[in-house]
Amino acid sequence: MNRIIHYIRAINAENMKEWRIELKYKPDFIRQFFAPFVYLLPYFLYGVALLGGRFSEHLRSITGVSDMIAYTFIGYLIMGFLNTACWAMGWSLRKEQWYGTLDTIFAAPVPRWVYVAGMAAHSTCHQGLIMFIQALVITTFFAISFKTAGIFLVLLIVALMLIGLYGLGVLIAGLTIGLKQWWVISEALGTLMIVVTPIAYPLAVLPVFLKKISLLLPTTYGVMGVRHLLLGEHIDINLGTIFLRLMLILVVWVTLGMGVFMLMDRYGRKKGFVSLY
Amino acid sequence: MRVIIEEIKKDFRILLAYPIEIAFWIISPLLWAIPLIFQGKALIGGLQSTAFGSLAGTGEYIPYVLIGAIFSTYMFTAVWNMGNALRNEMFYGTLEHILSSPVRPFYILVGKGLYNSLLSTVFVIVQMLICAIFFGISLTINKVLPMAFFLMLLVVGLYGVGFIAAALTLLIKEAHGILHLFEYILFLFTPIRYPVEVHPITRTVSLIIPLTYALVALRGILLGIKFDFLKNSLILLGIDMLIVPLGIWIFMVIERRTKKRGTLAHY
Repeated sequence: MNRIIHYIRAINAENMKEWRIELKYKPDFIRQFFAPFVYLLPYFLYGVALLGGRFSEHLRSITGVSDMIAYTFIGYLIMGFLNTACWAMGWSLRKEQWYGTLDTIFAAPVPRWVYVAGMAAHSTCHQGLIMFIQALVITTFFAISFKTAGIFLVLLIVALMLIGLYGLGVLIAGLTIGLKQWWVISEALGTLMIVVTPIAYPLAVLPVFLKKISLLLPTTYGVMGVRHLLLGEHIDINLGTIFLRLMLILVVWVTLGMGVFMLMDRYGRKKGFVSLY
Repeated sequence: MRVIIEEIKKDFRILLAYPIEIAFWIISPLLWAIPLIFQGKALIGGLQSTAFGSLAGTGEYIPYVLIGAIFSTYMFTAVWNMGNALRNEMFYGTLEHILSSPVRPFYILVGKGLYNSLLSTVFVIVQMLICAIFFGISLTINKVLPMAFFLMLLVVGLYGVGFIAAALTLLIKEAHGILHLFEYILFLFTPIRYPVEVHPITRTVSLIIPLTYALVALRGILLGIKFDFLKNSLILLGIDMLIVPLGIWIFMVIERRTKKRGTLAHY
């Protein structure tokens, strides 16, 4: 029990440290609350340019939802959590290396995963806050209406997806120890997930091989499940299957992430390249 | 001149130490365009859009989006690599050594700018070849010269922006996010992904961004869309003549200021 409390205190210390560092760079801190809007608008405008308006007959015929803005918005909102995994967690170790504090942190009396978990806790809080504001502003501005009956299930799906993404974050953090250029790994994996996840389009438009890859990602079930519950999108699989597959993916991804992280950590220390650039 | 060449050689050596980055920069801009292609298919169910055609001059959105993605490589390298150039030296612990060497920082940045231009050109050539092979974009010899002309005008202007980005990093240090925001702003207000005529605000703001004119011209050349060659080149030239001295001036003012205040090597 004492050990768990000790770990929780370390996770919280890491979380607080990150808030303190971020608040030191005020322009960047403020920027983080504006960036998601600027990021989203090109996708809306691209859709408007293609359709000449907001509603798509073809989208309605394949998904049951004709509002392109609402459809695209939900997809990208959910994908905001990908930043948590790919950027915040993946970047965590490389950043400490740049600050010159990696060796000091690694010498602290807690396992390495506690440190990465602290980064995950911080990023989830921070990203959650950003996404909440984004959701509030976009839904008001574009007058998007959602079905609220399944909100509990929506939160559950997001929570399961998020834990699955933590597995990816830990995996990236582990690969960073060996491959050093963390951002390439983060960007590459993030980009591949964005391509394959049905963010602004249904699974039906993906080629068969991408569809198969897509079914291995937690984000696919996260986006599909949430859009089904909030917008009534027609999906080929039922909610029970979505939960089941999410749980399965969660176990696999977290195990794989932890495995790679511990392997790379041990290998890095053995070869003496943990603090190499 | 030696300083500039040494800077280019050094940056190439660093890049070759991380070969995974080369593959990333070649493939990523094309990968970023793929969701837009799928989105187009989901929204209109085909490869042609009448609404898009009335705004862009071509209803075929796939080549439109791909060309935007390819040439935005120059924008990414100018904003990212120039913006992060000094920050990276700071992280490597070499910023003070570089800035205390008996050369003007301006030449170091010119070296970094030239390195980025060379690198972007290599990436763009490979991406164009990929698109020609897999997406059927037609490339003929007579298109190369006018394209090179507009690319040169674009690159010069973007490095004016790059100098400002480098100065920004010296000033606020953690500029990573600000550079990201700047990149999103360029996505929003330039015809990288869609014709800016789609909204009056995007159309108005795009008028002051050099990338707009370059993309109109490059798409015109590659896709055979009508555009005013003389007007676009003169506007680009005019913007370059304004933005390059402005960028250099801003960099020099901020560099002097940070040195005076002793915050150069602060994190």
